[in-house]
Amino acid sequence: MISPDRTEIYRYLGYRGLSPDYAVDALIDDCIGKTEAVIRPASAVGYFDVVTAYEDAVQIGDMVIHSHSLYRNMRSCTRAAMFAATIGHGADMLIRRAELGSMLKASVMQAVGAAYVEALCDEVNEDIRRTAAEQGYSCKPRFSPGYGDLPLDLQRDFERLLSMRQRLGITLTDSLLMVPSKSVTAFVGMYRGEGEVCTDIRPCSDCDMHGRCSYSKDVDR
Amino acid sequence: MKNLKEKLGSQWLICDGGTGTFLQERGLGGGELPETWNLLHPEIVEELNREYFEAGADIVNTNTFGANRLKLGDSLEETVTAAVEIARKARHEAGRDDDGYVALDIGPTGKLLEPMGDLSFDRAVEIFAEIVRIGTDAGADLVLIETMSDGYESKAALLAAKENCSLPVIVTNVYDSNGRLLTGGTVETTVAMLEGLGADAVGLNCGLGPLQMIPVVKRLVSCASVPVVVNPNAGLPQVRGGKTYFDVGPEEFAEYMAQIAAMGVQVCGGCCGTTPEHIRLLAQSIKAMPFAAQTPKDICMVTSYSQGVEIGNRTVIIGERINPTGKKRFKQALRENDIDYILNEGLRQEDQGAHILDVNVGLPEIDEPEMMEKVVKALQGVTTLPLQIDTTDTAALERAMRIYNGKPMINSVNGKQEVIDSVMPLVAKYGGVLVSLVLDEDGIPDNADDRIRIAKKIYEAADRYGIPRKDIVIDGLCMTISSDTSSAAVTLETLRRVRDELHGKTILGVSNISFGLPARELINANFLTMAMQNGLSCAIMNPGNEPMMQAFYSANALLNKDTQCIDFIERYQSYVPFAKLGEISADTGSAPSDKETKPERGGAVAEAVRRGMKEGAAEETKKALKTTPSLKIIDNELIPALDDVGKGFEKGTVFLPQLLMSADAAKAAFEVIKASMQGSEQQIKAKVILATVKGDIHDIGKNIVKVMMENYGYQVIDLGKDVPPEVIVDTAIKEDIKLVGLSALMTTTVVSMEETIKLLREKKPDCKVAVGGAVMTQEYADAIGADFYGKDAMATVRYADSLFGG
Repeated sequence: MISPDRTEIYRYLGYRGLSPDYAVDALIDDCIGKTEAVIRPASAVGYFDVVTAYEDAVQIGDMVIHSHSLYRNMRSCTRAAMFAATIGHGADMLIRRAELGSMLKASVMQAVGAAYVEALCDEVNEDIRRTAAEQGYSCKPRFSPGYGDLPLDLQRDFERLLSMRQRLGITLTDSLLMVPSKSVTAFVGMYRGEGEVCTDIRPCSDCDMHGRCSYSKDVDR
Repeated sequence: MKNLKEKLGSQWLICDGGTGTFLQERGLGGGELPETWNLLHPEIVEELNREYFEAGADIVNTNTFGANRLKLGDSLEETVTAAVEIARKARHEAGRDDDGYVALDIGPTGKLLEPMGDLSFDRAVEIFAEIVRIGTDAGADLVLIETMSDGYESKAALLAAKENCSLPVIVTNVYDSNGRLLTGGTVETTVAMLEGLGADAVGLNCGLGPLQMIPVVKRLVSCASVPVVVNPNAGLPQVRGGKTYFDVGPEEFAEYMAQIAAMGVQVCGGCCGTTPEHIRLLAQSIKAMPFAAQTPKDICMVTSYSQGVEIGNRTVIIGERINPTGKKRFKQALRENDIDYILNEGLRQEDQGAHILDVNVGLPEIDEPEMMEKVVKALQGVTTLPLQIDTTDTAALERAMRIYNGKPMINSVNGKQEVIDSVMPLVAKYGGVLVSLVLDEDGIPDNADDRIRIAKKIYEAADRYGIPRKDIVIDGLCMTISSDTSSAAVTLETLRRVRDELHGKTILGVSNISFGLPARELINANFLTMAMQNGLSCAIMNPGNEPMMQAFYSANALLNKDTQCIDFIERYQSYVPFAKLGEISADTGSAPSDKETKPERGGAVAEAVRRGMKEGAAEETKKALKTTPSLKIIDNELIPALDDVGKGFEKGTVFLPQLLMSADAAKAAFEVIKASMQGSEQQIKAKVILATVKGDIHDIGKNIVKVMMENYGYQVIDLGKDVPPEVIVDTAIKEDIKLVGLSALMTTTVVSMEETIKLLREKKPDCKVAVGGAVMTQEYADAIGADFYGKDAMATVRYADSLFGG
C-alpha cells in the first residue's frame, strides 16, 4: 500500500517549512483515511531506445521530441522508461464532494490526492530504477510533459505507447488533461554506468516557474 | 436465413476472435489504425473475416472497432461501409450466407464522458448513432457494442443503436477480476441498466483470460435475464522481447470455454490473442454440449453509475428533501440557480442514511426540464446513490432519464390512461423502476379493493408496454388520518394485499399520514413500523428525522431483516434513554468559552470566523440575529474578521488552510443571514462572473475565489469549468457584468483565456478581466491582455474592491 508523504501535503497547502495546527492536521488524517479507502492505484511502464544526436532533440522509440529541457535531462541517455500512473476516479469524486461543503476540506483532499499519486510515482520510479540497475543503467530524474518546455502533446504518445486508456483507465480531454486528475505520465532517462546520483528527483531550479511558485521546495526564496 | 433474434438465446451462437494479432502479423504498424486497412488492404481483412466464418463463428465482427468520427473524420462512412461489405463478401466466400451473421462492431470512443471527462453524453450518442446508421445501411445483421469499460458510454452506444436501427444489439463490457468496470459499475448494476435499455444480450469481453473470468461469469448469469455473451482474451498478456502475446493456446482455451458455456452462457467467442484456431476448437466442443436458455430473474434493482439498490427484500429509504414543496429556501435556490444548495441537501441525506435520493425540482416559474437535467447531472458527479426522478413534466422526465447514468427510479405513473400513455413509453425505452400510484380518473379510492383493482390495471398496462412487472412499485397512497381516521387502515391493507395477492412491491410517502396533526413524528414513526410489517418496500421520508430512523432500524431488527441486529447495534450502542436525557443536558448548559483570546474586533461571530469555526459561526450568527440587524452583523463582525484573516494571509502569517477555514465559517454565517432575509432585498457590491476557461476541467482555485468573493459581498455567477468564450461573453452582456474572473490551470488552456479576453474586448469593452491559476504569472497576464493578475484569492478580492469600492 502506498502512503503519502505528509510534508508534501503541507507543502501543497502552502505551509512553507512549517507544520499546521491540530485542527488542520486532524483534517488531513481524515482526508487520508477517506482517500485511502477509494483509490485504485494502477501503472504501466514501457522501455525504449533513446538517441540524442542533435542539440535540443531527443528520439525516444518512434518519437522525435524537440525540447531543450528534455535534452538537458537526457543528453547522456541511451534508453528511457515511459510510465503512466493513476490513483483512479475516487479521489476526484471526494474532492468534488468536499467542495460543496468546505473549501478547506476540498483543498486538503486535493493535496492528499496529489501526495498519493506522487507516492505511487515514487514507487513506480523505484521499480524502474531497479530494472535499470539490473541492466547496468542509472536513472535521471523523472520528467513529465508540461514541465519545462516539454510539450503536453506528448500525452497522446503516452496513451498510444502504454495503452493508458485500456490498461489504466486514463483518458485525455481535448486539451490534453488527464482524467482521473490524479494521474501522472513521465519519462525516466537511463544512461550507462553510475555517474551522478540525484537525490532530489524534481529539482525546482529546472522549472519554468522557478522563483514565482508558491509550492516551491526552496523555503528561503 | 433464420432470424437472428429467434436464434439468440435459443441455441448456441459462436463469436469470432482477435483481430489485432492477425493484422500485425500481416504488417499492421504499431501506430496504424486497423480500420484504415478496410480501404488499404481489403483482401487481408476479408481473409480474416473468412477464416473466422470457416472456423465456425456464427457472428463475425466488422473491422470497425475504433471507427468513429473522432478518429477517422470524414473517411468514416467509406471505412465502415467497406468493412461491412468485406465481411459480407467473406461470409459468401465461406459458404455461410444462410447461417452466418455480420456484426457491426462498435468500440469505445477513447474519450471519457462528463462529468469525469469532457465528452458530453449527447455528443457520445451522436458519434455512435452515425456509425450505426452507416453500418445498418451497408447491411450489417446485428450491432455488437464491445470492450466498454464505462457503463455510461455503453448506455450512449446502446441508446444510439436502439434509436437508429431495429437490429439485435449485444453489449459486452470489460470487468476486472472483482467484477467492476473501470468507472466503478458492477456486473449487477451494469446488467440492470443495459437490460432496462433493451439490450438483446449482455456480457463481458477482453481484460481477462477465460480462467480469470469464471467468477465474473458466475455473477453475470445469476443476474441476467437476457442471453449472456462471453468473449475472453487468450489468457493474460505477457511481454517478451518488447512484444505482447497471450499464453492460452487453442486447446486449453476451448476447454475453459466449455466450462464457461456450461455455467449458463449462450454465446461464446474470443477477444485479444485468440485466433481462428481457438474459435474452431471452441465451436466444436461447445456445439456438442446441451444448450440451456437464460432464465428470467426476479431482481428489481435501481442503480447509480457504481451502486445498486435492490428493492423487495429490505425496506429502502428514499430521501425526500430535494423538493421545493413548502420550503422557501429551496425555492430560492431553484430561482437563483444555486445548484450547490441542492447538492448539499443530497449529500446530507446520504450521510443520514438514505439509500436513494428523490429529485423534484418543479417550480412554476423555472424551466423544469433544464433544471432537472442540470441537477441530475450535478448529483451524479458527487453522490454514488441512485436517484428517483420525481416530476409530472414528461419533458423533464425524459431529459433526466436520457442522461441518467444507471437505472433510475421514476416517480410516477398512476391509473389514468393519459398518464400511463405518456410515462410508460419512456420507461420502456430507457428502463427504470416505476412508482405507480393507485389512483385513476375517478380520484383516490377510499377502500383497498379499488386500490388493488387499479394496481392490477397498471400491471396489465406495463405488460402491454413491455415493462417487466418486477420493475413496478405500487404506491399504496398515504392520506392523513386527521381528515379520515380510517385512512391508515386502508393504506396498510393495500400494502399487504399487493404483497400477498399480487406479489408486488410497495412504496409510501410516509409522512403524509400525519398531515395537520401535532407531534407528527410520533405518528410517522409508528406508522412506518406498521407499514414495514405489512411489506413496505420503499419509504419516501426525511432520513434526518431521528424518530423515524429509530422506527426503521427497530422494525428491521424485529422483522428479522437485520442479521444479528448488527445495524441496530452499530447505530444505537451509545443511545441515551429518554429518561436520562434531561439530566445530561442540564450538565452541559453553556458552551465552553475560550477566555484567553480576546476578540480584536467585533463580537462572538467575528471570533468564530477568525478561528475558522463553521458550526460556531452559524450558531453565533443565529444568536446575534435576535438582537442585531443582519447588515450590522455583516459590517461589524463578518467583514472585519475576514479582513483580519485576509491581512494575515497577505503578510504570510496565516496560511491558506486558515484562510479557507475562516472563509468556510463566514460562508456558514452568511447562509444563516440569507435564510433570515428571505424575501427582502439583499445588498450586493456587484455581480461578477467566474469561470474556468474552455479545455480546463480543474476548478478548485476558481471555487476558492468564489467563496471569498461571496463573503465579501459580491454576487458570483459561477459558469463552472470548461466554459467556451461565447458563453462567458454572452452572459457578461446579458447580465451587464463589469468584472470577469478567469482561471486556467495549464499553459495549453491559457490560450482559451486569451481568446475569451479578445472576445470580451470586442463585444463588452467596459468589462474588466482578472486572471489567475497555477501557471499564470504577471508577464503571462500582461501578454494575453488581462487587466489584473490575481496571485491568490485575496488579491482578486482586493482588486474587485478597488473597482467597486470595498
